[in-house]
Amino acid sequence: MGALFNISPILASALVVVLPFIAFLYQALRGKKSTSGNISLIAIILSAVISASFVFAEIWGHTPQSATYNWFTIGTKTFTFGILLNNLTVLMQLIVCVIAVPVHIYSRSYMKGDNGIHRYWMYLSLFCFAMLGLTISKNLLMMYIFWELVGFASYLLIGFWFTKEAAVQANKKAFIVNRIGDLGFLIGIAAVFSTFGSLDLVEILGKDGLFYQGIDNNTGLMTIAGLGFFLGAMAKSAQFPLHIWLPDAMEGPTSVSSLIHAATMVAAGVFLLSSLFPLFNDNVLVFIAIIGTITALSSAYFALGQYDIKKILAFSTVSQLGYMMVAVGIGAWDAAMFHLTTHAFFKCLLFLCAGAVIHEMAHAKAHSTTDYDPQDLRNMGGLRRQMPKTFILMTVASLALAGFPLTSGFLSKDAIVISSFEWAIDKGGLFITIPIILVLVSIATAFYIGRLIFKAFFGEFRLDKSLLPHLHEAPKTMLYPMVFLGICSLFFVFSWNPISYHGAAILDGFSVAYIFKEIHSLHIIVPITLTITALCSWWVGYRWYVLDKYPLNPNSKWITAAQHQLGMNDFVNNKIVKGTLTFSNWAYLFDKYIVDGLVNSIGHIVKILSQVASWFDKYIVDGLVNTIAGTAYYLGHLLRWVQNGRLQNYLGFALTVVLIGIIYLIIR
Amino acid sequence: MGILSLLIFLPLVATVLILALPMTLRQSYKYIALAITLIQLILSGWLYANFDNTAAGINAIEGFQYVEQIPWIRLNLGSLGQLEIDYFLGVDGISLPLLVLSAFVMLMAIGASWNTEKSPKGYFSLIMLLNMAVMGIFCALDFFLFYIFYEVMLLPLYFLIGIWGGANREYAAIKFFIYTLFGSVFMLLVIVGLYFSVINPISGAHTFNMLYMMDPNNYVDGSFFAWFNNYNEILHIPARDIGFIVLFIAFAIKVPIVPFHTWLPDAHVEAPTPISIILAGILLKIGGYGIVRVCVSIFPDVVAHSNWWLGLIGVISILYGAFNALAQRDLKRMIAYSSVSHMGFVLLGIASLTVEGISGAMFQMISHGFLSAALFFLVGVLYDRVHDRNIYNFRGLATLMPKYTGFIAIAFFASLGLPGFSAFIGEAFVIIGTFNSESIGTGLPRWMAIAGSIGILLSAAYFLWTLQRMFFGQTRLKGGEQWAIALEGDVNCRERIILFPTLAIALILGVMPSLFFDKLNSSVLNLVSMVSQYL
Amino acid sequence: MITLTHFLVVSACIFCIGLYAVLAKRNAILILVGIELMINAAILNFVAFGRYDKINYGGQVFALFAIVLAAAAVAVGLAIILSVYRHYKTINPDNITDLRD
Repeated sequence: MGALFNISPILASALVVVLPFIAFLYQALRGKKSTSGNISLIAIILSAVISASFVFAEIWGHTPQSATYNWFTIGTKTFTFGILLNNLTVLMQLIVCVIAVPVHIYSRSYMKGDNGIHRYWMYLSLFCFAMLGLTISKNLLMMYIFWELVGFASYLLIGFWFTKEAAVQANKKAFIVNRIGDLGFLIGIAAVFSTFGSLDLVEILGKDGLFYQGIDNNTGLMTIAGLGFFLGAMAKSAQFPLHIWLPDAMEGPTSVSSLIHAATMVAAGVFLLSSLFPLFNDNVLVFIAIIGTITALSSAYFALGQYDIKKILAFSTVSQLGYMMVAVGIGAWDAAMFHLTTHAFFKCLLFLCAGAVIHEMAHAKAHSTTDYDPQDLRNMGGLRRQMPKTFILMTVASLALAGFPLTSGFLSKDAIVISSFEWAIDKGGLFITIPIILVLVSIATAFYIGRLIFKAFFGEFRLDKSLLPHLHEAPKTMLYPMVFLGICSLFFVFSWNPISYHGAAILDGFSVAYIFKEIHSLHIIVPITLTITALCSWWVGYRWYVLDKYPLNPNSKWITAAQHQLGMNDFVNNKIVKGTLTFSNWAYLFDKYIVDGLVNSIGHIVKILSQVASWFDKYIVDGLVNTIAGTAYYLGHLLRWVQNGRLQNYLGFALTVVLIGIIYLIIR
Repeated sequence: MGILSLLIFLPLVATVLILALPMTLRQSYKYIALAITLIQLILSGWLYANFDNTAAGINAIEGFQYVEQIPWIRLNLGSLGQLEIDYFLGVDGISLPLLVLSAFVMLMAIGASWNTEKSPKGYFSLIMLLNMAVMGIFCALDFFLFYIFYEVMLLPLYFLIGIWGGANREYAAIKFFIYTLFGSVFMLLVIVGLYFSVINPISGAHTFNMLYMMDPNNYVDGSFFAWFNNYNEILHIPARDIGFIVLFIAFAIKVPIVPFHTWLPDAHVEAPTPISIILAGILLKIGGYGIVRVCVSIFPDVVAHSNWWLGLIGVISILYGAFNALAQRDLKRMIAYSSVSHMGFVLLGIASLTVEGISGAMFQMISHGFLSAALFFLVGVLYDRVHDRNIYNFRGLATLMPKYTGFIAIAFFASLGLPGFSAFIGEAFVIIGTFNSESIGTGLPRWMAIAGSIGILLSAAYFLWTLQRMFFGQTRLKGGEQWAIALEGDVNCRERIILFPTLAIALILGVMPSLFFDKLNSSVLNLVSMVSQYL
Repeated sequence: MITLTHFLVVSACIFCIGLYAVLAKRNAILILVGIELMINAAILNFVAFGRYDKINYGGQVFALFAIVLAAAAVAVGLAIILSVYRHYKTINPDNITDLRD
């Protein structure tokens, strides 16, 4: 097909990036006059088509291509921008396009009638531009630029309803937490630059790159670089403890959550680590694996205690991202990318389904006399009768998330868990806890997603039954994208073999050489264990939530702790944010009273000194002059008396003087 | 008359014209000022376009362009020799971008003063006088001439703040004036010291020529600031170190560097909007420019061993300014403190003594010039309408003034270093340069880069907090309905004409930094090679 | 035997009386009298010392000379006093202090 149109993959991929940008400009310039979002939709569809047919088809499994253009020169170093197309980048670009298209279509009805819809399309196109640009960046600096731009687009979209206090708090938090990661990224870039003197990925990590010319990646500088990049990935991919922004980010429109905060942007961290994988030394990798494990475990636990349907999904996303991080940490970044791909589809679907449910609940709320939270699971129940198609699609996605056979999630999750077992056994020691925790997390995942399905779709409707007629199936423009994603959540999209991940095209495409040995028995034991435990947890969930045999105290410490995320948000708000603010207030007081006070008191002292000087001048220096003048005046005054005009006195004086003279002559 | 002289003395023509015209023609003053600044901008743009990128500048007259050198004062001092002061102008890659920036910011300031009612005659003639001094500073290559322009600049500013300022204007004006004078008086001592230490190799007389001061061979053996074998000391500090420190403090006050910054918030808060724009957009840059042109170039040997301290001061400025900005309730004061923080990057970048760091610092200066000018202008827009700037008195302005919110959001994000805008390039390369310093061996530790980057984080915190606090949420104003009516109109046409190009330039520079770096590169390389021999 | 000393003593007494009159009297006429007394004391001394000049009799000659001068002086003095009186309506020297200025 490429020959047909004679368009090079490089140009095509550039076009893929630029099209949404044109849509963004169009929306920005037209402003309120353009609300349909047609241009954005057309742009992203074209991008998807071009990406699939001219980029992915041309590059996947073939030789990588790249193009470099000079951007600017500082001193003697030239910084470039460029496009790098290899299996990893074209896959990521394709995923973003393919996920973005259904979300765009879905948004058309989901966001219909919103006042700021022109902004919505503008931001969405901006996001697509930045995300697509991120995927094919050849230069770290350029990647950083897009990296921040996606964060910026995410900021705009989370705060889309800017009159809502919670939304603007959430987007501020998201941006600032992401900023922490960005700084890590920047430090990483600085470290790479000072090691290699270049930021070009091909120059550094290409076949004959600088990296393979005897650079020791165990130096402290490389560790800093690795940790820096990982910090960036931690913030963007919501790893513990920087995950706190993601649950709050659910204040944005659900369609946005599905695209940005479930499928694409949050996965960018994993993508980044995969692209830079050779840079990481063993210490960093182990650190990544540990953080990934902690994230997976903690957020799966938090998800158990949530009632907000979107928050459950958010924590689930965090937890799955933890899986991917573990995969990167153990060196199986192909498995991470595989899971990223499958997760993108089923998690996006989960969000879109949740969005459909919320849409209907909010719709019903308009007819209700009471005020209720349309996102709260406790208000739902029995929805499968009103929304059967949504129910089926959501169940498919949930099964994929829980890792049931025949779904895509089964394949990718197995790949990670099995590889981690092999890695841990190869390493020995305490590392075995990592895969064991992953299995536990998998059980918990199955349970919480089961809980969501059972609570929302089974049982009886928990609110006023008169609202039921207002609950309908989602409209077709929302349903078709969901169906498409539902199909993509099944196994055959990725591998013809439903029970083993070995045939998966994505894994073959990367052909990563593992450092650890393959253990065949695990490939049978682990999938069976995971499936059985998942089934068990669904059964327990069914008993607890549908059959109402709930054995736990909902106010127990464990559940409230999960609900409140172990108090992490409070800790961040009360200790870190308040601490910073208090510190800054102190700094200001210091500035006002000490630094400026010093300046003012110097001024004051000078003033006092000048007063002293003035006093001295007035009374001492001038006083001396005055005294002399006064004395002269006094003396003159005295002599003046002599000159009184009386001749007799004159004579008398003359006589006196003569007498004195005579006396003087005598006694001399 | 050369083009640089034209650039410098055009505003003086405007001053004379404005003073000569009777008050009945008061409406024409602003048009005269506008026309002159417009011509200046075109002239400086022409200079920029015709600049030869390969000329290295800094310490060789061949590297300078548009040079004008005329003997100015020649006085036979008998046994002290010949007094030699030149009218010596020229630009290189360091000064030319600042020249263009100044012309642009001046134009902005004239635009912002469009509605000045209070004695426009004095106002516009003083601004034009200031304009002349600023242009002179960036062009002068003779230290004496430089100093004259440097001092002339203070006078109009004093009156502009002291007469057209806010409630507490006299305090602010005096504080600003005395603070700056304090620095520059000691500078004069060093200038004289340098004069007696340096001779013109051609005529053999002592000279104020800055370029001769940069060449070690021109120093008289045994003179106070002699380059080699100099054992002069004051308080056990070597003479050249003293000279450097004094000059550095003089410029650090201007930048301003913590702890010499306290004049800045006061001056900004009290100054009228156009003067704030000039203060932030141009005057702070004079400090940075002075450090590069004078401190680093004349004392490279001292810089090479004292840059650790400079870097430390830079980092402290960044963090301290950022924390203070976070604590402010007055929008203008907040932006003033953010200027302190952002100018800290300039010092950090210069202290790194790497090509990336110094280029980043220069870029940061230009970028901050545009962005802070835009920010102060935006504050002025709000203040003009409701005469209040307290962040806590506003909420949900986005609903009321969507365009204004758009502009301020762009300016905020550009200032906090969003990629695509100029501040990002500046800050990123300062950080990269600082980080690289240890590898190259210029002596700044890596933690300074990391600490500096925390400043970027904090800048996000205070800008976003302000955005959230003032602009988002439900509309609620302290002044109630009255304010809402006053704010109804959003930004008007004049304000848009001023804001749009400013932010557009920030965007263009962020996307195409080569526009700036191409002019700068050879000068910075030359500067770094000058310093690196002493490392 | 009356010696020179006796003359001198008498002359000194007359001089002192004259001096006193000049300094203390409130009447210009009496001051003039005092002046005359002092002149006469001087004349007496001339005469007394004239004894030592037996060839030219310089003492006596000067005495005569002085007497004539004194008479002239008195005439002038009285004339002044008269015109003072006409001008000031007083001849008390205390009241005439125009010399002060």
